[in-house]
Amino acid sequence: MNLLTDPVGITHYLIVGAILFVTGAVCMATKRNALGVLMGIELVLNGANVNFVAFGSEYLRPGVLGIGLDGQLIALFVIILAAAEAAVALAIVLNFYNNHSTVDVDRADELKG
Amino acid sequence: MEPINWHSVFFLVFALLACGFAVAVLLTSNIVRMAFYLVLSLAATSGLFFLAGADFVGAMQVMIYVGGTLVLLIFGVMLTAQGPFISMKTSAGEWTLGIMVGGLLLAVLLQAATSIDAWQPQAVIEGDARPTATRLGMGLLGARVDKLDEVDPTQRGGMSGYLLPFEIVSVHLLVVLVGSAYLARPKKRVQNSSWEGLK
Amino acid sequence: MDPVTTLPVLLGIAWLVPLASFTLILLFGPRMGKHGQGAGVLATAAIGTSAILSLIALFFVWVPAYDWAPEHHAAHAEHGAADHHDTGHGDAGHDDAHEKDAHGADEHKAEEHKTADEHHEWRKPYVAGEWYTLGQFGKLRIGISYYIDSLTVTMFAMITFIATMIHFYANGYMHDELHEITDHEVTLSNGHHLHRPGRFHRFFQYLSLFCFSMLGIVIAGNIAMVFVFWELVGICSYFLIGFYIERKSASNAANKAFIVNRVGDFGMIIGLMILIATLGTFSFGDIDTDGDGTVEPGIFSLVRTEANNHALVVPDGMVRAAAASEIAAGVEPSAEQIAKWRAETGPGGIGRTAYWLLIVAGLGIFCGCVGKSAQFPLHVWLPDAMEGPTPVSALVHSATMVAAGVYLVGRFYPVFTPETLLVIAIIGCITLFIAATIAIVAVDIKRVLAYSTVSQLGYMMLALGVGGWSAGMFHLITHAFFKSLLFMCSGSVIHAVHTNDMTKMGGLRHKMPFTAYTMLAGCLAIMGAGIPFMIGLSGYYSKDAILAQALSFKASNPQWGFLFYVAAAGAAITAFYMFRLWFMTFAGKPRDHHAYDHAHESPKIMYYPLIVLAVLAVVVAWPFWPVSIVALLEQARPEGFHETVNGVLVSNLTHPAEHISHEPNFHNQATWVATFVGLSGLGLAIVFYGLSLLNPAEVARQFKPVYTFLWNKWYFDELYDYLFVKPTLFVANRVAEFDKVVIDGIIDSLAMLTRMVARLDDLSDRYLVDGFVNGLAAWTYATGSKLRSAETGRIRQYVMFIVVGTVAMFVLISLYIS
Repeated sequence: MNLLTDPVGITHYLIVGAILFVTGAVCMATKRNALGVLMGIELVLNGANVNFVAFGSEYLRPGVLGIGLDGQLIALFVIILAAAEAAVALAIVLNFYNNHSTVDVDRADELKG
Repeated sequence: MEPINWHSVFFLVFALLACGFAVAVLLTSNIVRMAFYLVLSLAATSGLFFLAGADFVGAMQVMIYVGGTLVLLIFGVMLTAQGPFISMKTSAGEWTLGIMVGGLLLAVLLQAATSIDAWQPQAVIEGDARPTATRLGMGLLGARVDKLDEVDPTQRGGMSGYLLPFEIVSVHLLVVLVGSAYLARPKKRVQNSSWEGLK
Repeated sequence: MDPVTTLPVLLGIAWLVPLASFTLILLFGPRMGKHGQGAGVLATAAIGTSAILSLIALFFVWVPAYDWAPEHHAAHAEHGAADHHDTGHGDAGHDDAHEKDAHGADEHKAEEHKTADEHHEWRKPYVAGEWYTLGQFGKLRIGISYYIDSLTVTMFAMITFIATMIHFYANGYMHDELHEITDHEVTLSNGHHLHRPGRFHRFFQYLSLFCFSMLGIVIAGNIAMVFVFWELVGICSYFLIGFYIERKSASNAANKAFIVNRVGDFGMIIGLMILIATLGTFSFGDIDTDGDGTVEPGIFSLVRTEANNHALVVPDGMVRAAAASEIAAGVEPSAEQIAKWRAETGPGGIGRTAYWLLIVAGLGIFCGCVGKSAQFPLHVWLPDAMEGPTPVSALVHSATMVAAGVYLVGRFYPVFTPETLLVIAIIGCITLFIAATIAIVAVDIKRVLAYSTVSQLGYMMLALGVGGWSAGMFHLITHAFFKSLLFMCSGSVIHAVHTNDMTKMGGLRHKMPFTAYTMLAGCLAIMGAGIPFMIGLSGYYSKDAILAQALSFKASNPQWGFLFYVAAAGAAITAFYMFRLWFMTFAGKPRDHHAYDHAHESPKIMYYPLIVLAVLAVVVAWPFWPVSIVALLEQARPEGFHETVNGVLVSNLTHPAEHISHEPNFHNQATWVATFVGLSGLGLAIVFYGLSLLNPAEVARQFKPVYTFLWNKWYFDELYDYLFVKPTLFVANRVAEFDKVVIDGIIDSLAMLTRMVARLDDLSDRYLVDGFVNGLAAWTYATGSKLRSAETGRIRQYVMFIVVGTVAMFVLISLYIS
């Protein structure tokens, strides 16, 4: 299998998406900075977007009518929601910072059982 | 020697960039660098979108994600980036745990991604690239022009447009805008001044 | 005027007028005039009316009706008048029947005349009857009845007259009570003196009730009535002694007087119950109680039957009571059987038991008199009773309370056996000596007089006990005059110098001459001053009579001769302490110049009564008045005491007839003795206090133990405290402990049992019912607690969980599908 000559398929996109997803998830799991966690989320959403786009692409699976445009539409929604989520999350982080003078998510454990 | 498939080459480049910078985001502990690497990673991902034929989505990725969301994030970084918070170390135990779990997830996902034959690479259709912007716009308005020639009526029926979600998302964005502005405003100072005004 | 119809009306009105006054003051007292001043006027007017009525009854009804025998030998001469003695208000039939009876007696008497034994013939004149019947229970009848003899009439006149004087006096003495009073002897918890409204009207309200009660005792015709008024007197004295109720000492004194009297009254109830139970009648005199025309014999007639020449006989009722075990139910023993039983006077015999019943009845009644008349051993209350206002002391000590005891002994005289009389004499003797010795060292002017009263009451009891009935009663009358005078004088002094302490007086005769010289008259009277065999003050006659009777008793009973010596010694001591009092108060130099400078003669309303009483204290007993007290009293002499009587149980006990003591050998001797001891006491007082030749303080130091003993009043209060109060408190405390430990323990354990049952119930409720519910809750809670550790609050961990969960789901799904 030669990556330079062989055509790419959905599988390749899925692998990239999986890597991005896992990276984002691990990022969420390991970053103590609240903004780092936010970035992890962005990565996870991005990985999911890659998958949507890949499944909706008509280039990667010729002749097979996949989800088609739906994939791109949903990806668009995801981007929009990510933007909204980023705005809200940033507002939360700023509030948290105002109240606790820190952005360490480990300090935000008021909900501890 | 088969001719170099430039599609594949560019895919490889963009995939490596996206994955590499994503891993860089993961590995660095400096928040400012994280933001920078994330920009690069997301930009690379948008290249992947172009390669997949989703030109509008790729453009939106660059505009909204890279140009909007990440600027927002960097504002946050700048607002909170004080000495101790720029680089916050994570303990080795947590790293180990996170990588183990992440590896597990990756293994599952890779296994799933590679186990379906239909998803394997196939011959790429040659021809004019058809811009997707018009179709997407029509779809958002409720008209699925891409499915007009659908033979299967069941599929045609179920694939109506996205007008309602579009409306919901736009209202949602407005609410988010107002909400984040409300949340982020300096509450105490306003309250104090209003109290003083009352007095 | 017919005494049978007139006397009950006159004396009855005289008796009830104070009651009306009491009722009116009770209802309208505070509104009578300014600050209730009208109450004093009303009470004085009421008792004045009583006095006038009593004097009318004495001089215009009794004296003309029962013509008068200066010596008892001649008492029989007017037997016709005496026939009225037992007529009730009556129907003609009764009168006729009685008339026959009386004539029979006349004939009998005529025969006796020839035997020259006149005394048996004389019949005591009295009027007995019933105003109102309260109830009739079988043969027993209770009513408001009267028994009027010359003693009653004399006592009425004396009591009402002296009470009138005291009322006048009190109008002046109590004027402080007309406005708001600040009592300097009472300090409240806030440090201020008590400030209270005046109680002028209340004082006179009590005085009126007091007079009413005392007159009730005197006029009472049955023992139930006597007891009721006896107790009324007691409660009145309680009110009046405790008049300054806010003072602790006054309320204590009132309580003491009341409680000590209860001790005596307990014995009295026993005596009265024996009489009622065995004799079956309440009445003193012979009254036709059931209206059937026959006269039912009263107590006196039952004890001293006419058939037996009025000699003491154990009544049939007592014999029956003593022989109760011998008598079968429903069988009435015959007269012969009763006579046979009565004759069994040997040890264990029924007659002796019956005689003992009589003795106990007499002693029981005397017990009440001991309490009321403050005799040893119940004399402790009288000195403390000085806490009352002085007019009350005057009234209590002369005419009412303490006189009631002596009067009652005189009234029940027929019931007393010679043995009882001996006890009375001994008690009186002890009392007079103890009280006289204490009076020597007392410095409180009123206490000196109080002990003097106790001592004089002892004299009266002694006289009665040795058979001198008229001597005792005579002394009661004369003593009432001079003792009320002395008390009112002392009140006048206290009023002037505002202290009772004689050591702060002295020289007061210059400031208050009326008081001083009237008191001197009183002192001379109580000492019994007089020119031997010519003339003397009232005490001279009565004390001589007592001493003569004691001497006569000594002659008959040499083993009881000490009674006479003690009486003579008592007379000397009396003279000594009375003049000690007078000298300390009025003579010499002022000891407290502050008190002396503020002293002043009392207002006229106070010293006019003093002058009246002083004159009477001098002249009242003179035998050459047309109506002499002695002769008057002789008319009331109980039947059976005109001659010598002998004891039954105590051998060699003889009560000589009183007329024997009038014989020259006794009388002259007694007069000399009395004069000598009186003068010696007076001389001692002059040496110590009049001329200050000897310093009494040095003598007191010399005889320190004796002085301390007397100063502490023979330690009677301490003795009683140790003997009665402490043991009572001890027993009470033990009983209280028993109550607390045993009774409370039982109740507490019952309560504990209930609580245990309740607790079991509670436990089942709590552990079975609640346990189920709570257990469920606790289980839920415990589960939650265990699960809470999963909720770490760490976002990154949650992410990890999500990832792991996702992976696990994938794995599971893949396994399930494959």
